[in-house]
Amino acid sequence: MDRDLNLELTRRELFRTGGMGLGASALMSLLGQEATADPSFRNPLQARQSNYPAGAKSVIYIHMIGAPSQLDLYVDKPKLRDMTGELCPEELFNSQQFAFIRNRPKMYGSQFKFRRFGESGQKFSELLPEIGSMADEIALIETMHGEQINHSPAQLFMQTGFGRFGRPSMGSWVTYGLGSENENLPSFVVMVTGSVGGAGNSMWGSGFLPSIYQGVEFRANGDPVLFLSNPKGIRRADRRRIVDTINQLNREQLVDLGDPEIATRIGQYEMAYKMQSSVPNLMDTSGETESTHALYGTTPGKAGFANNCLLARRLVERGVRFVQLFDQGWDHHSGIEKSIRNKTKSVDKPIAALLKDLKQRGLLDETLVICGSEFGRTPMVQGGLENAGRDHHKDCFSIWMAGGGIRGGVRVGESDDLGFSITKDPVSVHDFHATVLHLLGMDHTALTYKYQGRQFRLTDVAGNPVQKILA
Amino acid sequence: MGKMSRFISVSLGLLLVASNLSAQTVDFEVDIWPVLQTSCVGCHGAETHEGNLRLDAKAIAFQGGITGVGIVPGKPEESSVYLRLISDDEGERMPADEEPLPAEQIEAVRRWIEQGAKWPDGIGSAATEVSRHWAYVAPVRPVIPAVQHSMWPANAIDYFVLAKLEENEIQPSSPVERRRLVRRVYLDLLGYPPTVEQVEAFVSDQTPNAYEALIEQLLASPQYGVRWARPWLDLARYADSNGYQADQYRNVWPYRDWVINALNHDMPFDQFTIEQIAGDLLESPTISQQIATGFHRLTTLNVEGGTDPELSRLNQVIDRVNTTATVWLGSTIECSQCHNHKYDPFSQKEYYELLAYFNNTPLEVNGTSSSFKFYGPTVDVDRSLKDRRALAALHKEQTGKQAALDALVANLDAEYPQWIQKVMETSQDESEWHVMVPSDPVSVNGATLRILEDNSILSTGKNPDKDIYEISFLVEQPMVTGFKLEALTHDELPGKGPGRYTAERPNFVLQEFTLHHGDSQLQLTDGIADFSQANYGVNKAVDGDPQTAWAIAPQFFKSHWAEFLVAEPLQSEGPIKLTARLVMNYGGSRVIGRIRLSAMTGQRMTDAYSKRAQKLVAKQQRSAQEEKELKEIFLKSHAKYAKAQADIAAVNKKITALRAPTALVMKELDKPRETHMLIRGEYKNNGDLVSAATPSILHPSETSDANNRLDLAQWLVSPNNPLVARVTVNRWWAEFFGKGLVKTEEDFGSQGDAPTHPQLLDWLAVEFMEQDWSMKHIHKLIVTSSTYQQDAKSRPELQEIDPTNRLLARMPRLRMSAEGIRDTMLQISGLLELQMGGAPIYPPQPAGIWRHVGRNAPSYKTSTETDRYRRGIYVIWRRSAPYPAFINFDAPDRTSCVVSRSRTNTPLQALTLLNDPMYWEMTKALGQRLHAVDIEGLREKVAYAFTRTVSRSPSEREIDILSELYTETVLQLKDRPQDLQELIGQKDLAASPELGAWYYLANVLLNLDETITRN
Repeated sequence: MDRDLNLELTRRELFRTGGMGLGASALMSLLGQEATADPSFRNPLQARQSNYPAGAKSVIYIHMIGAPSQLDLYVDKPKLRDMTGELCPEELFNSQQFAFIRNRPKMYGSQFKFRRFGESGQKFSELLPEIGSMADEIALIETMHGEQINHSPAQLFMQTGFGRFGRPSMGSWVTYGLGSENENLPSFVVMVTGSVGGAGNSMWGSGFLPSIYQGVEFRANGDPVLFLSNPKGIRRADRRRIVDTINQLNREQLVDLGDPEIATRIGQYEMAYKMQSSVPNLMDTSGETESTHALYGTTPGKAGFANNCLLARRLVERGVRFVQLFDQGWDHHSGIEKSIRNKTKSVDKPIAALLKDLKQRGLLDETLVICGSEFGRTPMVQGGLENAGRDHHKDCFSIWMAGGGIRGGVRVGESDDLGFSITKDPVSVHDFHATVLHLLGMDHTALTYKYQGRQFRLTDVAGNPVQKILA
Repeated sequence: MGKMSRFISVSLGLLLVASNLSAQTVDFEVDIWPVLQTSCVGCHGAETHEGNLRLDAKAIAFQGGITGVGIVPGKPEESSVYLRLISDDEGERMPADEEPLPAEQIEAVRRWIEQGAKWPDGIGSAATEVSRHWAYVAPVRPVIPAVQHSMWPANAIDYFVLAKLEENEIQPSSPVERRRLVRRVYLDLLGYPPTVEQVEAFVSDQTPNAYEALIEQLLASPQYGVRWARPWLDLARYADSNGYQADQYRNVWPYRDWVINALNHDMPFDQFTIEQIAGDLLESPTISQQIATGFHRLTTLNVEGGTDPELSRLNQVIDRVNTTATVWLGSTIECSQCHNHKYDPFSQKEYYELLAYFNNTPLEVNGTSSSFKFYGPTVDVDRSLKDRRALAALHKEQTGKQAALDALVANLDAEYPQWIQKVMETSQDESEWHVMVPSDPVSVNGATLRILEDNSILSTGKNPDKDIYEISFLVEQPMVTGFKLEALTHDELPGKGPGRYTAERPNFVLQEFTLHHGDSQLQLTDGIADFSQANYGVNKAVDGDPQTAWAIAPQFFKSHWAEFLVAEPLQSEGPIKLTARLVMNYGGSRVIGRIRLSAMTGQRMTDAYSKRAQKLVAKQQRSAQEEKELKEIFLKSHAKYAKAQADIAAVNKKITALRAPTALVMKELDKPRETHMLIRGEYKNNGDLVSAATPSILHPSETSDANNRLDLAQWLVSPNNPLVARVTVNRWWAEFFGKGLVKTEEDFGSQGDAPTHPQLLDWLAVEFMEQDWSMKHIHKLIVTSSTYQQDAKSRPELQEIDPTNRLLARMPRLRMSAEGIRDTMLQISGLLELQMGGAPIYPPQPAGIWRHVGRNAPSYKTSTETDRYRRGIYVIWRRSAPYPAFINFDAPDRTSCVVSRSRTNTPLQALTLLNDPMYWEMTKALGQRLHAVDIEGLREKVAYAFTRTVSRSPSEREIDILSELYTETVLQLKDRPQDLQELIGQKDLAASPELGAWYYLANVLLNLDETITRN
């Protein structure tokens, strides 16, 4: 889409509605309180139809920053377990560049038991009993492969389809493609637990897309949205009077100059005022039932990953298009047994709760839930077996999806006995992106933006939707 | 894998149809021409000829485009027209972005070429040369067009604009009112609005050249450079941090100051370019010319552990190539990194030839595989005058102190022989160490502590995040004078230890080491250790402060020891039991993996020097070096000498603190690297060797023997370069008019937009070059044009004919940049500080914005005083978390080259201006000034407030609206003392309802659309 098209449409539409002349009365009716609700007031976030019928309307994408071990959570490799302590086969060691391992390491099978869940009989590790209980909703790709071996570039690649800075994130592509269903909340919301990933805000940045499509972070501390609360001594009614005065004066200018940007600004001040109540309302979970809180393990007013899962549901319930949760602390170079046990304890229940809750509310059908990370981890040990860790591994890792448009209970791909190399059905990051866009009703080759003379795509020049997981 | 299978299926298809066709002769007109018409000439035809190829013209089709020969009769395998149809690389295969042609068509093409490629004359175009895309033909100064309304134009620009308007039968708009004009030109040239006095001075100046005089004055202001550096810094991806992971600070601000300075001096753009691209390669480059090369040191860099330094370097070089092409050629050549450019005439080989110019600078990380540091060539920057003065005083002090020390040494010399004698007589160090027998080791957090045969204790099993060890020891000596703590390595520890952190960094951090005898704690002093980490000295383990500690990075993988004396020797008749307590609460399992304790008997020599002195004195013969060392020990044994030396050290420390700031610069390696093409752009997938060269479609390069970056720089600003002047003036045009004459400022290639006023663009480009590449000259032409001085009122009657104002029948209104908004608010509120240059500033931002953690992550120290109110360009730019008030107004993260920022209009912007504590601070400052201003009458005061904010006088209605808010608020606040108190919230200010009401008004005024918009 042309960079200026939206802006120009705004102008054109405004003038069309105003007729040939900019009659003050026509303008006043157009620019009253409901300015943004007027269908002729085109804004770049207006909800748009997808290319074809969509499986999902919104997305909740959970990214485990640091990259958990697929071998300890999702993929059972008995042979690898038997090999624990044996030196890594020479040819395997030489075939790869590792981020940290320098000397030929030993193999290291999972110390956790796996068992089958649900009718599908998918295996999950004992660390994920709750997520396992939702096995029949989950489609898991065992054979993801990436191109980047270090966190920050891999995070960028996973989120933007490109291993360096400068490209739009998946959430901004989706928002650009589909617009927003809720005018009182941002269309792309991000929540972070722990420190943010190395790639920083670029993981939800809009790259070369207009910055209106970038993710808005809802923060756990201070204002949930930056600058949401009024200065001390200014009450809500005061803010109303101030905003009314600003808009009154802006209307004077609008009549004088006829610049539609002023009309937009008037609308945005209204929206800002609305956000000052809609965002705190959203963040306040005290109205949720006790059983809901029990399901997630949340307490009203207490921040954390579980709370973010609950908020994610509240967001998609309100029509927010794309919700992204980042959770730090999965980079287990040493002491993995203890660390991954602790980490999974904090996420297993809330993630499963999110699936259950969406399902019981009938929202799971229209919400795509994704759980992944920037890469996976090696079947070789990093360090000694005593305090075993695992190094980064980009050539075979897992990601799962559930909900809108997903065929549950399915596994995609096969890997060798060590879980090191893919042997069947590789899925690239571009394939993954193509799949997500497909599920949202968009053809990934058609969702383009012209920049520097080129039609850019989230999927660059590659990608095919993974058919097997489509419902 | 997908690619491979598709290729196989295509090949199979070929085999199947091959047999059908084998016997037939291909008829061009029947079998080939329709295929070319249907599938090829859309992009390779008379209208567009991508890759410089036309397949509707026989001569050009045979000759080929940029990839190589198109058709070699009889040899399909050498004909790129055929080869591109069967390529298995999706980026190469034709038709671009579409499914491959049906196998039988491809086979027909192959056979047609094989059979001699007969193309009967008369079919298709007779053209023999591809017409060049307009942007690749050097501009010539066009004739100024005639216009009817000849009184209107003020300079050449207006003739071109007016001619277009008249063609469309449109009248230009009337001139804008003078108050709006003066504000407009202040915002455009300086980046902040005029004061009320400056507005009035201009409005009341009746002289005919008042406006021109104002322009001259503004162009001469140093704030002009500050305003105009901003877009250049966007192009240069200027930021104060590395990007990625911990996103550390880097010292690059001298480059920012260089840009501001160069723009203020109107450095000719060719020189401006040459110094930035290759200042280091000029003959005897000045410091300033070297600082200029910081332009290309601004690339992001990942210093995350485990990265591949060579890959990082390649990424940086690629960024340099792409950025250079975007900035100076307005061309996107990054497509040709992986394959020949699909649309523009740049081949993949040419990409790497350009890359070769940048491939000869050193690596910019060093360190081990798990711990990298950003480094690379730097230069020292000139210090400020204040620092230079301070430094001169310190040097003087240093000289004086040194003289005093020399005199002292001369005095002491006489005592030296006696001292040696004394040392010889002193008994040997009689201290002895006795390993103590441990028992009952306890790890508070559950690690397994095992006593080994050598009486050391090994920590294994559970590896707690933090831990405290408590271990009992038996002391069997009657009098103990000190204790030794050893941190030992062991095979079972990660990386052998001695800490339990990671195998790569087996550090430990010991906050407190205490020894207890019953209820009393022994006082440990005078610690020495074989090694202590910087800022983690050994005595910090016995200082009682849990915030400080002893640690040993980066000396991993080996044993370490620390010795302490006890303040009071420990005496007893029989064995006594001591409990050692080791507190290790840093987190991340930075605990000691194996420890051993020993007790000391006898006297330790007071310090390590004395021990050494004993040894040296005992020697039969001392080398000159040893003699010098001994003498030094002697001198140090004198308190006076130690004091004098400490004094000098203190001065030296001050001198070091004033060390020159450094700037990052480019530096050529002595021996250039070889540059290979990268197949499909893949790292380490080396293709042919190439050497540095410029793209063949553009003007030829007159290279020197060196053919290095300097040649490239000179080529970029050659008067023959068809692009550089157009691209540059077009960007400026866009800053003034919202859009460039070529709307796609970043793309002048075949996919870019055609210019709306091609002749004007060329006229400006030629004028720019001929007027010594002067930016100020072009800016002056623009702002003194009648086009620029038009009113900004919209003109509904032009809606159909020119909905987006491309013909410029009026001036567009433009919301200001993020920095421009900050500067404007500061100016209106009276807080603006115009101090220039130096290290970045840290204005207030909400807590928790800088959350990146990791090695050397910087922390945000909010500026106080002057720095708080300086211009936006000086605000610290951390790529992972840029200043939030800027991000909300479309500032980029500066991770890559940005040609034009988007200009959005969002609720977050409203929230920022309404509530951001930084803006609220300005709001209050404005409120206080308005409250205090000495003007009679509310309406008059409101009018002043309004003019101060937006430069024009308010209408009666506008005064009504604001006065009403004022009156109502005063009334309300009278009844709400609590809110009033909170609102004012400053002890030194009387909390009057009137002041509170002015805060409200200031909040309104600073949020007006007009306030943040260049009218």
